[in-house]
Amino acid sequence: MVRISGNFQELIEFFRNLCYDGRIFRIYSLLHFIFTRKKSLKILIIEDEQSLRESIEEYFKGTGNLCETAATYSTAIEKISLYRYDCILLDITLPDGDGINLLKNLKKNNHSDGILIISARDSLDDRLQGLDLGADDYLVKPFHLSELRSRIAAIVRRKTFNGNNLLIVNEITIDLIGKEVKIGDEDIKLTPKEYALLLYFIANKGKVVSKNAIAEHLWGDGVDITDDFNFIYAHIKNIRKKLMEASGRDYIRAAYGMGYKFVG
Amino acid sequence: MKLLARYNRVTLITTIIIMLLTGIAYYQAISWILTRQKDKDLADEEKEIFEYVNTKQRLPDGFETKHQQIIFTKTEPGSVKRALVDTVYFKKWGKNNPKRRHFHAVGEYEPARGLITSVSIANQYYKVSIIQSKVETEDLIQIIFYITIGVILLLLIILFATNRLILNRLWKPFYNLMQELDLFNIADKKEIPKLDTTIDEFRRLNNSVTNMSTKAKRDYQALKTFTENAAHELNTPIAIINSKLDLLIQTENFDEWQGKLLTELYSGVLRLNRLNQSLLLLVKIENQLLDERQQINLHEVIEGLIIQFDDIYRDKGLKLTYNLQKKSVYASRHLIEILLSNLIINAMRHNYPGGEIIISLTEKRFIIQNTGNNEPLNDEKIFVRFHKSSSSEGSGLGLTISRQICENFNLLLYYSFSSPYHTFTITFPNQV
Repeated sequence: MVRISGNFQELIEFFRNLCYDGRIFRIYSLLHFIFTRKKSLKILIIEDEQSLRESIEEYFKGTGNLCETAATYSTAIEKISLYRYDCILLDITLPDGDGINLLKNLKKNNHSDGILIISARDSLDDRLQGLDLGADDYLVKPFHLSELRSRIAAIVRRKTFNGNNLLIVNEITIDLIGKEVKIGDEDIKLTPKEYALLLYFIANKGKVVSKNAIAEHLWGDGVDITDDFNFIYAHIKNIRKKLMEASGRDYIRAAYGMGYKFVG
Repeated sequence: MKLLARYNRVTLITTIIIMLLTGIAYYQAISWILTRQKDKDLADEEKEIFEYVNTKQRLPDGFETKHQQIIFTKTEPGSVKRALVDTVYFKKWGKNNPKRRHFHAVGEYEPARGLITSVSIANQYYKVSIIQSKVETEDLIQIIFYITIGVILLLLIILFATNRLILNRLWKPFYNLMQELDLFNIADKKEIPKLDTTIDEFRRLNNSVTNMSTKAKRDYQALKTFTENAAHELNTPIAIINSKLDLLIQTENFDEWQGKLLTELYSGVLRLNRLNQSLLLLVKIENQLLDERQQINLHEVIEGLIIQFDDIYRDKGLKLTYNLQKKSVYASRHLIEILLSNLIINAMRHNYPGGEIIISLTEKRFIIQNTGNNEPLNDEKIFVRFHKSSSSEGSGLGLTISRQICENFNLLLYYSFSSPYHTFTITFPNQV
C-alpha cells in the first residue's frame, strides 16, 4: 500500500549505477524486489456502466492493486478532491455531467494523477480535446482489459519512474528509451513486435492474455484478416525461446489454446 | 425530341396550312370579284353595241383595242345563246416589240373573258363575241399571291426565331433545375437553390423538388443518425462481453473443449466489434467528420503497412513484390491509411497459400494485384454494403469504405480482372 517515495527511488538509482557492470546485479535485483514488492497501484475507475466497472475492478484487484470506483460525476468529483491516485480511468460520458470537466478540474488544481480516458466516442475531436486538456491516453471502447492494463502501466511508468528509464522484472531489465532488453547482463535481441509483446506481457503479468488482445495490440485493424492467429504463435515461440536461452526460465505459458500467460 | 422542336414543328405546320388556306381563299375571292367586274364591263360593252345597232341600224366597226376584241359573225338565227365564257385573247405585239424577234411570233395568247351574244340587223342574225384580256387581273392575283407567300415566309422565320429565343429563355429555369438535380447528392449538405423565375409552373416544380430533396435528406440524415447511435450504443455491450471474457479466462482449469468455445466466442465478438467500427467509420466518412487534410507521402504509408502486415503475409506464404515511386496526396492521413490497408488486407485475405501480391505506385495511379479465386468478381456488386463471398471473413464493408474514402478525395477506385490477377486501381486526379 506504500508508494515508492522519492528516497527509495534515489536509492534504487544509486544501486542501479553501482551495479551497472552486472557483478552485483543480484544484490540490486534483490533490493529492487524488496522495494517494489509492496508497490501497489491506486486506481480510480470512473465509469457509469456497472458491469464494465466491475470487470475492470476485478481485473485490477486480483494483483493487489487498490481500486476505487465512481459511477457518477458527483461521486467522482468527491473522490478526486479528497484522494490522489496513480491513475484515473475516466469515462467522459457520465449520466450527471461531462467527464471532461473532471479532467479540467484535476488540471486546474495541479494534480498529477495519471489520466486515461475511456470513451465510446471515437472522433478525432474528442481524442484531441482529451489529450490537449492533459489526459495521458485515450482508449476507445470496447477494449481488452489486458490492453487497458498495458496502457495504465505505461502511464504509471511515465509518471513514477520520472526519468528513470528502466523496467525490471526478476532478472529481466528493459531500457524503455533505448528499447533494449537484458537478462542479467546479457543483451537479448528482440524484434520491435517481440519487444512490444514483452512489455504487454509484463504489464499483464500473471494474467491470461487472449490471442485476440495480443493481435489487436500488435496489428491493430489488420487482425480481422484471418481467424486463426498462427502468426502470433510464431512471435510467442521466438520470444519464449530467447528468454529461456538467457534465463533458463520459461516465462510464457499457453493457456487452453486461447491465450498466453506471463508468469514472473 | 426536345419540347421546343416538337412545339416548333406543330406551330410551323399549322401556320403553313392556315396560310395556304388563306392564300387559296384570297385567290378565289379576288378572282371572283375581278371576274364579276369584267363581266359587268362586258355587259356594258354589249349594251353600247345594242344601242349603236338600234340607233344606226348597222353594225359598229369591228375593232380591237389593247385588251378588247369585238367580232361579228353572220350565223343562223337563234343559234347563239348568250353566255359568259372563259376564253383566250390573242394579243398582237407592237411592231417594235422586242418579243417579236425573240419568240419569232407576232403575239401571244392571254387568258380572257368573253361574252357571246347576238344581234339582228335587217333580218341578218349576227353572233357577237366580246373578248377582254384578263392579263391585268392575273397580274393582280399574282402580286397578291407573292405577297401572301412572302408574308408566310416572313411569319415562319419570325416565329421560328422568336420561339427559339423566347422558349430557350423561358425554359432556362427548367434546365437549371435539371442541372441541379443531376448534381444532387443525398449525402451532401448542399441544398437545391431557389429558382429565379416568375413562371408559376416552374416555381411549383422548384418547390416540389426542393421539398422532396429536403425530405429525402432529412430521412437520410435520420437513418444515418440512427446507424451512428445504434453503433455507438452497441459499443458498451460489446465492451462488457469483451471484458467479461477477459475475466473468465483468468479462472483456471478449462479443458480443451471449453478453451475452444472461448476462442470462438472471442472471434465472434471480434467480428461484431469490427463490423460495428466499420459502420461507424462509414457514417463518419459520409459525414466528412474525418476530414483533416494534409500532405501525405503515399510511398511511406504503403511501406509502413507492408512492414505492419509482414508477419501475416509471410504466415500465409504469400509472395509480395512492390515497386513504389514517390507520390504525395493531399488528404486525411487516417482515411488514406484505412483505404490502403483495406486494399492490402483484401489482397491477402482473398489469396491462396503461396499466392502473389503485386503493389505498384506511380505518379498517376496505385495498383494492387493479387492472385486468388480464378474468376472475375462482379465489379458492381463488390462495392455494395455487405456484399461478400461466402468464404470471406471480413465485414463486407471494406470495399464500400474504400470507395467512399476515394470519393471524398476525388480518387477513382475500380476493379478489373485479368487472369490470374484481381486488380484494384486508384487513379489520382491531375494535380495542378
